[in-house]
Amino acid sequence: MLQYSTMTTSTAPNIILVEDDPPLRTLTTRALQENGFVVKPAATGAEMWLALENGPADLIILDIMLPGTNGIDLCRALREKSQVPIIFISARGSETDRVVGLELGADDYLTKPFGTRELVARIRAVLRREGGKQEGVPRSQGLLRFDGWALNLPRRELLSPSGAVVDLTGAEFDLLVSLCEHSGRVIARERLIELSRTRLGDSSDRSVDVLVSRLRRKLSSSGSKAPIVTVRGVGYMFNAPVTRE
Amino acid sequence: MVRAPLGLIGRIFAILLLAILIEFGASTFFYERASQLSVRDDEARRLAEHLVIARKLLSEHPPAERPALATDLTTSRYKISWTGQLPPALRVTPSLDRIHRQVITWEPSLNSANMSLRLVGSARNAVIVGSTTLPDGSWMKFATREPVHDLSFSFERILLALAPAVAIILIGGVLVRQTLLPLRRLALATERVGGKDTEAVPEGGPREVRRVIHAFNRMQARIHRLLVDRTQALAAVGHDLRTPLARLRLRADAIADDNMREEMETDIVEMQTMIDSLLTYLAGEANGEPRQAVDLAVICATIADDARDHGHDVDYAGPDHLERQLYPVAMKRALGNLVENGLHYGERVRILLHDRPAGAVIRVEDDGPGIPEESIEPALQPFVRLDTARARDTVGFGLGLSIVSRAVEAEGGKLTLSNRPEGGLRAEIRLPAS
Repeated sequence: MLQYSTMTTSTAPNIILVEDDPPLRTLTTRALQENGFVVKPAATGAEMWLALENGPADLIILDIMLPGTNGIDLCRALREKSQVPIIFISARGSETDRVVGLELGADDYLTKPFGTRELVARIRAVLRREGGKQEGVPRSQGLLRFDGWALNLPRRELLSPSGAVVDLTGAEFDLLVSLCEHSGRVIARERLIELSRTRLGDSSDRSVDVLVSRLRRKLSSSGSKAPIVTVRGVGYMFNAPVTRE
Repeated sequence: MVRAPLGLIGRIFAILLLAILIEFGASTFFYERASQLSVRDDEARRLAEHLVIARKLLSEHPPAERPALATDLTTSRYKISWTGQLPPALRVTPSLDRIHRQVITWEPSLNSANMSLRLVGSARNAVIVGSTTLPDGSWMKFATREPVHDLSFSFERILLALAPAVAIILIGGVLVRQTLLPLRRLALATERVGGKDTEAVPEGGPREVRRVIHAFNRMQARIHRLLVDRTQALAAVGHDLRTPLARLRLRADAIADDNMREEMETDIVEMQTMIDSLLTYLAGEANGEPRQAVDLAVICATIADDARDHGHDVDYAGPDHLERQLYPVAMKRALGNLVENGLHYGERVRILLHDRPAGAVIRVEDDGPGIPEESIEPALQPFVRLDTARARDTVGFGLGLSIVSRAVEAEGGKLTLSNRPEGGLRAEIRLPAS
């Protein structure tokens, strides 16, 4: 079985870009290189496997529509062997594609056309999240449960005790995950800002306090208040038992 | 093997033939019944007496004087004539057995005179004609001059005359209806052309109708193909444009001139928005997403929060939670479009959610100029922009409200646009009770 390292010692992250459109592949490669990444372009799945054999990768950018084996199948095959972060890029912006991609274990999903800044920000966010993970902990998979609520990590969904999907923005979701992962402990506001900034666009510069007040409203249910406690002068604490499945 | 169906003309001919047969049968039956006809006793007696006298007078005179005498014997009631030979038998006229008996009863002498009685004329206007022999073998003919009105069962007679007509109308009506039924099915199917499902109309009925249905089915299939092809072609164009657009966007990043780059990025974003709205519109509810339980109140609140984060004045007023079965992505997009639309024409947008027994009601209200009443209907049509009164600054193809309309229809709800009395537009989505 092949083993791919998810962490490299060099400072410049290694990225494999799988994109079948030659000009777009060249342009994306150039844009990423200018932003300090080491890029190995690949036109097909076969070229991707070849690139992986030649050296470890920190992240793979996968186009969904590829000649031969498509991106979805490549992602599935990759996940059987490796936990390397994957970002899907697709010309189809459909919700089903996004959900399928994320459920297969992709870390993010980007619709064409995208700008350099957006792509770079998404890559950095995924790499930062990856870096914050402890060894051995499975990547965004499974469910976090508290008070009857369920956080579906791969689908990035919050389900109410009665099973309805409760809409959360990316920043709110990340904030709630961070709170859950530190349940019973006080988290400083600064740390939360850092954690909830992992997703660009959604979080923008909204203060954590606003995000927390929105989360509280969304997590309130008849009779009971949301389990997020303000610790004055320090930050917040999640005071409900969280189980991971 | 299917037997070749009878043509429309053939069928109508067959129906007419049947009608005639029924009429003929009924008439025959009526004339058969006529032998049962009787007249009042005094009528029979008067006829009997007149016949006996006329016969006696005629036989007492020489043949040369008889025609003149017959004319003299003709009264306002009876017509008498004399002829040397046997008059030709009257066909298809029923004989009148009962009247015959009545007359014989009064004047038994007529029994030996070969008297015959027949009914002649239409059922409503019949006269009795008859003949007897004279002792020398010549013939006397006679006829009543007035129609036999007071036939004893005139009510029954009317019924008898009406019965075939009613039967013909009923049977003919049923048969014609049966014949034209496939045509009606065809008409119903025609109204559905262009809808979502294409169901071939079963080919049935007369040959001509079958051919029309066959042609219709093929036309329907062609129209459906055309619609599908058009949708697929537009979708393919949309998808395929995204790759060159992605290139363009990355190339634009390399432009050193900040102004130029930003303007170009704005153009690219506009093109992207157009493609997105086109693809959303074409995909419609067939987006493939399942209906699922979602918190509608949270969706509304999130849209308002998101707009506020982008510096817009958008409020949400309503319950904290309201769980419903919905197509979440389509509903989010619909509400997002309404808010965007409101912000485009106004400064301030309010999202209001009410949970009513009849179903949830969502209102998106802005403080813009509203829409002229006559433009409310066209505003929901695809590819329509209400530019007449405003500058053409709308982004997209004018699909925003049609996307909303489709999403609401998919939920079985109703979208209405109205101008608020205090100014501004109100878009109201009424969802059915879950």
